[in-house]
Amino acid sequence: MAITEAPQVHTPQPEPRSGLMTWLTTTDHKRIGILYFINSFTFFGVGGVLALLMRTELAQPGTQIFPPHAYNQLFTLHGTIMIFLFIFPMLNGFGNYFVPLHIGALDMAFPRINALSFWLLPVGGLTIVSGFFTKGGAAAAGWTSYVPVSLQGGTGQDLWIIGLLILGVSSLLGAINFVVTILRLRAPGMSMIRLPIFVWSVLATSLLAILAIPALTTALILQFADRHLGTAFFDPTRGGSVLLWQHLFWFFGHPEVYMLILGAWGIVSEILPVFSGKPLFGYRGVVLSFLMITALSFTVWAHHMFATGAVELPFFSITTELISIPTGVLFFNWLATLYKGRLKLDPPMLFALGFIAMFLIGGIDGVWAASPAMDFAITDTYWVVAHIHYVLFGGTVFGIMAGMYYWFPKMTGRALSAKLGQWHFWVQLIGFNLTFFPMHILGLRGMPRRIADYAPDRGWTFLNLLATIGAYLIGVSMLIFLANVIITLRRPRDAVADPWEGNTLEWFTSSPPPPHNFDVLPEIRSNRPVYDARKAQLASGGQS
Amino acid sequence: MSLAETITDERAVRGTSSPVLGMVLFVASEAMFFGALFGAYFTIYSGASSWPPKGIETNIGIPAVLTALLISSSITLQLGVAAVRRGRMDRLNRWLELTLVLGIAFLVLQAYDYSQLNFGIREGVFPSLFYVMTGLHMAHVIGGAVLLGMVYVQARTGQLSMERHEPVESAAIYWHFVDVVWIGLFSVFYLATMR
Amino acid sequence: MIRNSGAPRSGRGGNLGPRVRLIAVVSALPLFLSGCALQGVTTQGQAVDTLYNTIVSLAAPVFVIVEALLIWFIFRFRKRADDDGREPPQTQGSTRVLMIFFLIPTVIVAVLFPFGERTLSEVQASPPAAVTIKVQGFQWEWTFNYVNEGFFSTGKTLVKPALMELPVGQPVHILLNSQDVIHSFFVPQFLFKRDVVPGRTNSFTFTPTQIGTFNGQCAEFCGLYHSKMTFIVKVVSQQDYDAWVTKEKKAALQANCSPQGSTVTMTAHNISWNTNCIAVKAKTPFHLVFKNEDSGIQHNFSIYDSPARKKNFFRTPRLTGPTSQTFTGPALKAGKYYFQCDVHGPAMSGVVIVK
Repeated sequence: MAITEAPQVHTPQPEPRSGLMTWLTTTDHKRIGILYFINSFTFFGVGGVLALLMRTELAQPGTQIFPPHAYNQLFTLHGTIMIFLFIFPMLNGFGNYFVPLHIGALDMAFPRINALSFWLLPVGGLTIVSGFFTKGGAAAAGWTSYVPVSLQGGTGQDLWIIGLLILGVSSLLGAINFVVTILRLRAPGMSMIRLPIFVWSVLATSLLAILAIPALTTALILQFADRHLGTAFFDPTRGGSVLLWQHLFWFFGHPEVYMLILGAWGIVSEILPVFSGKPLFGYRGVVLSFLMITALSFTVWAHHMFATGAVELPFFSITTELISIPTGVLFFNWLATLYKGRLKLDPPMLFALGFIAMFLIGGIDGVWAASPAMDFAITDTYWVVAHIHYVLFGGTVFGIMAGMYYWFPKMTGRALSAKLGQWHFWVQLIGFNLTFFPMHILGLRGMPRRIADYAPDRGWTFLNLLATIGAYLIGVSMLIFLANVIITLRRPRDAVADPWEGNTLEWFTSSPPPPHNFDVLPEIRSNRPVYDARKAQLASGGQS
Repeated sequence: MSLAETITDERAVRGTSSPVLGMVLFVASEAMFFGALFGAYFTIYSGASSWPPKGIETNIGIPAVLTALLISSSITLQLGVAAVRRGRMDRLNRWLELTLVLGIAFLVLQAYDYSQLNFGIREGVFPSLFYVMTGLHMAHVIGGAVLLGMVYVQARTGQLSMERHEPVESAAIYWHFVDVVWIGLFSVFYLATMR
Repeated sequence: MIRNSGAPRSGRGGNLGPRVRLIAVVSALPLFLSGCALQGVTTQGQAVDTLYNTIVSLAAPVFVIVEALLIWFIFRFRKRADDDGREPPQTQGSTRVLMIFFLIPTVIVAVLFPFGERTLSEVQASPPAAVTIKVQGFQWEWTFNYVNEGFFSTGKTLVKPALMELPVGQPVHILLNSQDVIHSFFVPQFLFKRDVVPGRTNSFTFTPTQIGTFNGQCAEFCGLYHSKMTFIVKVVSQQDYDAWVTKEKKAALQANCSPQGSTVTMTAHNISWNTNCIAVKAKTPFHLVFKNEDSGIQHNFSIYDSPARKKNFFRTPRLTGPTSQTFTGPALKAGKYYFQCDVHGPAMSGVVIVK
């Protein structure tokens, strides 16, 4: 088979050393990727515990454990942590580990900046969480931090602002690094239309981050100035505007939602073909959809503001509904990839299929909210809570788990237990639906989001209890996953280079890959170079 | 796939301009940052009954000089870029020195301009916008000056050459951007508010 | 409810059977939703209800088809124990197929959008109103100012929700204002909410069609006691409404009390005063001990001629709690006066009796 030599490495490769210091000072994209995973799952644990505490309080009407001020901190930090410290860094972790491998590169374009953008994450995260230990507690104005209620907050709110500014710098540096890496460091033959679809998703995510995060930075600086410098940006009595915050925040916030889901689309679009034994049905259609969504996501921000009575309703309604077109194309492509395939229902595939089934619900229930007249009824109710969790949990977290089971053997040299993986999947699927499906009905029955308590006569009690039981089931599923990881890591390394018959370049190197990634690269003539290499090997009778 | 593509290591060739591409992306992000600030300006402007509010006076004299300083500094820097591209390192040093002097003159004169104003940051939304936007721009000018200073040190210590001039290119892209932002600020805070 | 039976039972079910059934049940869940929506009790709410069902009728087929195909594919194309190891056909989509993929959702959007716009124009319409109410939202209570009738209806934070009575079948015009943070006026059974935004007056019109009592609640997070910022909308017959208006107008300034020494203590706690009636001696200045126990919240104390507030006799500065200060009150002529906290208006008001 045709093989091109990997380029000579001019800098001497130090012997891989173990020990804490090598991890703290590493600039290897694979190790930084692992650090991203450790950091993200740690914060996932924290955010998950906060969610369980919230669900515990809401299981019954009345105040049992958390008085309103404590509850308000719980949901604020839950949202902030899950969005900024779990999902986004988690997808960046996959990007860090696999983008250089996918494009046949040695490392990221700027390895030291890469290390910096990782280490800013725990710094920013701990800054935000440290609010719990200040007088007055952590930030308590919601992850959207609407003014003026956020202007009334104490030290915790300042820590929240500073923490998010730090996280913004981290995301921006990471995004620039990804774009430069993808545009400049591709191996010979790896043209843009041969990029793995996951790399496209990282590219789209990074462009969104580069162009959207600055709006959040601006908003945060203005809020900090109003809090401490006596400025009047959000004070209507002195000529300011409270809706200015919402415009700036959602100009960032809606692209942010796509930054949180594109990576999962990319992961699932990698896994479905591998486990169906077929190519992705419409590669160009999927890439085009990613790019359309990237562009459209900058035109829809005010659909979060329909009920303010201050935005152009038909415009933001039609742009929002237009996004369902490329999203629909993704579903058709995923289904067509399965059609007449040979589906191997290993855990990565189970989670990918679960992703399709659940994300579909999150996509469809968004259609109601896109129509302003309907949105007046359901916005700021539990309908929206259900919707966002069907997208970000039913979508992204299922996608993340698919990716973990898929790539765990590549990253650690050990495959996660399939048996435990199946248990994990089914408990997570059931727990997830039990938690979030009833929230649709709660929303339709008028339960507003972000309330610390509700009256027993509103007809919300049973569904809330159901959601709480479901939340604990999700907790159990995560414990199964944790157990699976711990048990697997104690086993000897036995994973082969290509356990799933993969398509992309990471499966061409050892599990785990050497520090310089590749000893040899196959010739890249399609977006499935490793598939091509496997075929060529079969054709030549097993000779390599 | 063409033959050239298979035999050339594209990483070595394309890799050379990564810092410049990185700077272009960073500047794109910075453009969105100032874009959001200008968005805030126009949101508040469109809801205001009089602009600037009564009692607020901005004098166009010093800012006009500031604009001239910054535009000249962009020209001198670009002459420096042209020099390094032709390998004229001595000229690069001269142009970098001149650019830095113009940049520092801008900062000093703007600080003086602040001291002459008849309003403070707490006195309403116009002063809020004025001080925060020009202040953030000033921080960017300082950042740009530091960047140019680092390039200057590289130039003086012989780390730059005709082949290796990306640091100058990158710094120039950033400096021109800061210049363009100032023209925007000059327009909305001085030209548009002349009575 | 509907059981999705899209998965054919042909072939060997293997251990996949229960899974398929489970997925089928999960898939049918959204159809439950059509039965769970609240029915609108206003003409506008009924329009929204219709829109809801229209979207259900468009979305449910999409949902059922996609989930059914997914389950069918999983069942039909899964790798079997007797797999011959042959490679599946390596089909990829042609440009034409991809164009069809783009076309299908485009058609759905094109059908959906006009329905939404039609309902929107019905919801946003503002016919001439029989009742006009200025709604003031604040942390954490509502005050309803019946503009034409000239009285207020309000509640007591954490104790009693504010009450809005309305005559059935009459268009009601609502104007929304806030002095502190953003709130949202939300009555689930109207299938409607509108934000109450500081520095902006939002308005809308609706016509209740059904007699009954409906819960309302703030729907935009507004700080500490957001969850307690409830109110009640009571829709009654025109006769009952007229009787209620007469009673409420009389009730204003009805409290009575007599002077107790020369010091008056006003304590603000949980957005309520310790009393709704104070009494002082005529033509004699009095000591006012002003206590604000609400941490982080501003209150003040003002005395006016009447709830219409044509003339102000006394006003303390707005003080953020917790704090306690002493002021000297004015010498007033004998008579009845009205006091309130200017931040919270009639929700923190009462009578000053000067004897």
